[in-house]
Amino acid sequence: MKEKEEIREELIQLVLFKLGEEEFGVNILQAREIEKLDQGLTRVPKAPSFVEGVINLRGEIIPIVDLRKRFGLTLPPLGYDSRVIIVEVQEALVGMLVDAVVEVIRIPVSAVEPPPPITKGVESQYLSGVAKIGERLIVLLNLERALSPEESKELAEADLGE
Amino acid sequence: METSEYLRVFMDECQEHLQTLNSSLLALENDPENKEILNSIFRSAHTIKGASATMGFNKMADVTHAMEDVLGLLRRGDIEVTPEITNLLFDSVDLLEILARGIPEGREADIEATGVLQRLKKYSTREELTPSSRDRRRVLELRYLKEEQEQLKKQLSGGRKLYHFHVILKEECLLKGARAFMIIREVEAAGTVVKTIPSTNELEDERFRFDFIIGLVSTEPLEKVVQIIKKVSDVQDVQGEEVAPDELPEERRGSGETYRFAVQKEKEPELSAPVSTSPTALTVRVDIRKLDDLMNLVAELVINRGRLEQISSELQHEDLEESVEHLNRLLLELQDDVLKTRMVAVEHVFSRFPRLIRDLAHRAGKQVDLQITGADTELDRTVIDEIGDPLVHIIRNSVDHGIEQPEERKAGGKTATGRLSVNAHQAGNQVVITVVDDGKGIESTKIADTALAKGYVTPEQLEEMSEEEIINLVFLPGFSTSEEVTDVSGRGVGMDVVRERISALGGQVQLSSVPGEGTTVTIQLPLTLAIIQTLMVQIGSEIYAIPTSLVDQTISVDRKDIKKLRRQEVTMLRGEVLPLLRLQDVLGVKDARNLENEELDVVIVRNGERRLGCVVDTLLRPQDVVIKSLGTYLGNIPGIAGATILGDGRVALILDLRAVA
Repeated sequence: MKEKEEIREELIQLVLFKLGEEEFGVNILQAREIEKLDQGLTRVPKAPSFVEGVINLRGEIIPIVDLRKRFGLTLPPLGYDSRVIIVEVQEALVGMLVDAVVEVIRIPVSAVEPPPPITKGVESQYLSGVAKIGERLIVLLNLERALSPEESKELAEADLGE
Repeated sequence: METSEYLRVFMDECQEHLQTLNSSLLALENDPENKEILNSIFRSAHTIKGASATMGFNKMADVTHAMEDVLGLLRRGDIEVTPEITNLLFDSVDLLEILARGIPEGREADIEATGVLQRLKKYSTREELTPSSRDRRRVLELRYLKEEQEQLKKQLSGGRKLYHFHVILKEECLLKGARAFMIIREVEAAGTVVKTIPSTNELEDERFRFDFIIGLVSTEPLEKVVQIIKKVSDVQDVQGEEVAPDELPEERRGSGETYRFAVQKEKEPELSAPVSTSPTALTVRVDIRKLDDLMNLVAELVINRGRLEQISSELQHEDLEESVEHLNRLLLELQDDVLKTRMVAVEHVFSRFPRLIRDLAHRAGKQVDLQITGADTELDRTVIDEIGDPLVHIIRNSVDHGIEQPEERKAGGKTATGRLSVNAHQAGNQVVITVVDDGKGIESTKIADTALAKGYVTPEQLEEMSEEEIINLVFLPGFSTSEEVTDVSGRGVGMDVVRERISALGGQVQLSSVPGEGTTVTIQLPLTLAIIQTLMVQIGSEIYAIPTSLVDQTISVDRKDIKKLRRQEVTMLRGEVLPLLRLQDVLGVKDARNLENEELDVVIVRNGERRLGCVVDTLLRPQDVVIKSLGTYLGNIPGIAGATILGDGRVALILDLRAVA
């Protein structure tokens, strides 16, 4: 009986990535693809400071957001392993620049708990939960909040105000 | 097809028929006796009724149904076309437009329709109760041509008889065409169908109302065939009659002999079928997004061609170079053709104007004669969608404030009827639209007074300005927002909005006027928004595209010719002071080199009357680029009009220098 129950448990699939040494996850349903940032990035004047620029992804212009800057994390520069995860948020495609993509895993929904006020330096409003898998603590991002156009505009205005 | 696709097709069709309704009603107003126009109105209302009922938009179906009832009475001549009726029909069409607009938002059912519905029903029920109208019932007639009669007479022997069956389908019958087909097939088991009215083709295409007549040669008794027909579901009623061979009704206009079925139930006449069996349409409807996709693919190809060109020139392979060259030409043609598929005639916008002007003139008690020319001029779909509102605004101004009351015109030695002409034509890669009226024109002194009072200009600046420049002050933001300004200036509330909208399309708008004689508004628009001509410039390591529509000229300025005027760099150009702007300052480019240059490349952009010299590092080349949006995430960034993809796959931003100029 117990086994059956486990099988029936609802699972979610996550793309795990690193910001610094910490592990974060986004629902795979929101991730379109993972790219290496090998082409030139075009800087966009007057865009929020965490928008690194735009790239051409097969004819579409995609803004690239440096998640580390987005969350105000101070970390060493991006290295060889850095990747762009293209995600779909409110019908817009956005590329998230991360230090590394780790793996794709399935976790039971029941393992996800509400986020504490601040986790690994990221405010809870940008998180949808935390999941403990064995020793690992995975932080689930709320992309709607973290990458909302309204939010980016407000931040851009704040940038200009400084 | 998905439901949403059905919906799109429905909306498109609906718009077309509403347009037809509007233009036909206008025509009917001038020619109330014309049955052909009435039929066209009836057909459009009928089509909307059918389509909206199928889609479940019941309010629309109700309104069109009630319109049909009234139109039916008009067609039968039971009531006459009066201004009261045309106004009611116009109001009904307006209501339909409101309902149609409510559909995408799911509000169709919530829109108030009872007023118009009651007015429509008042007519139809009132008329139905008068005995005279009941007597004048429509009749369907089945007649035979001479040759047909000869043929028939030969067949009518040996117990074979000719029957006519008048079949009436139930009103709620859904697939009338199929039903009619079934009935014909059933009766064919009992004999030979010699003729039907409407024809079998029309019946199958559902080009009939609810009833039709079958002519059948059969050996079976009349009553038996009637029973056969009655068994088919959705049949409301059947009347059968035997026709003697020497009583065959002849199909000839004005012949004294007529053969009639008295219709028991009040019914609408069948729709008059198109004269020719419509040839296969030479056009197809294509979702604009598919064309956008196609456009994107072509843009991708163009980018790839760039790479291929580079490789082939490195390899120096003659055959390869030749075929790349060929590819090049084909791609250019392809790009051109794809662009052309997106073009739509400005008629789509212009066709609203006759109705608009009728209403405006009516309300203001003026007489206006509208002339439209060049309605077949084509513009990109995206431009068409955006240009409607500004044009309506301009026309509204012309009728409201330009053209005078008839008495005033006569007193001024003009015809009582004002003239308004709207013209479109293509000039190079631009389309020019002019709106000309012969109204009272604009008095520049009044504009000048207002501009002074509102602090837009100083008396010294006014001194320098030409009449035309003064008149064009009305385009300044906020210039003409108050009512009293409108009335004195004779021109426009919200002309600033008009200019803004047209500028956003990469176009320009100009006013010219002769007091007492009239006003001309000239709008220049790019053919397309998808591809724009740009000038590529480099600043530091960054490449930007400047739309040439904003570029006045490019010049080279010697460093020693740059002066400082109140901390602002300027240079003299043909005796005028040209302010300079180092683009790196607004764009935040860190590695710009133009500060060290001896010779500076300057792009002069203009915004209305103002000119600004933009200093760049290097002028690269003019280039047509496919404009792409930066997407909703970044939204509108001031100074950036969009982005484009360069030959090497990198992204270059397109600058919108109106913000700084």
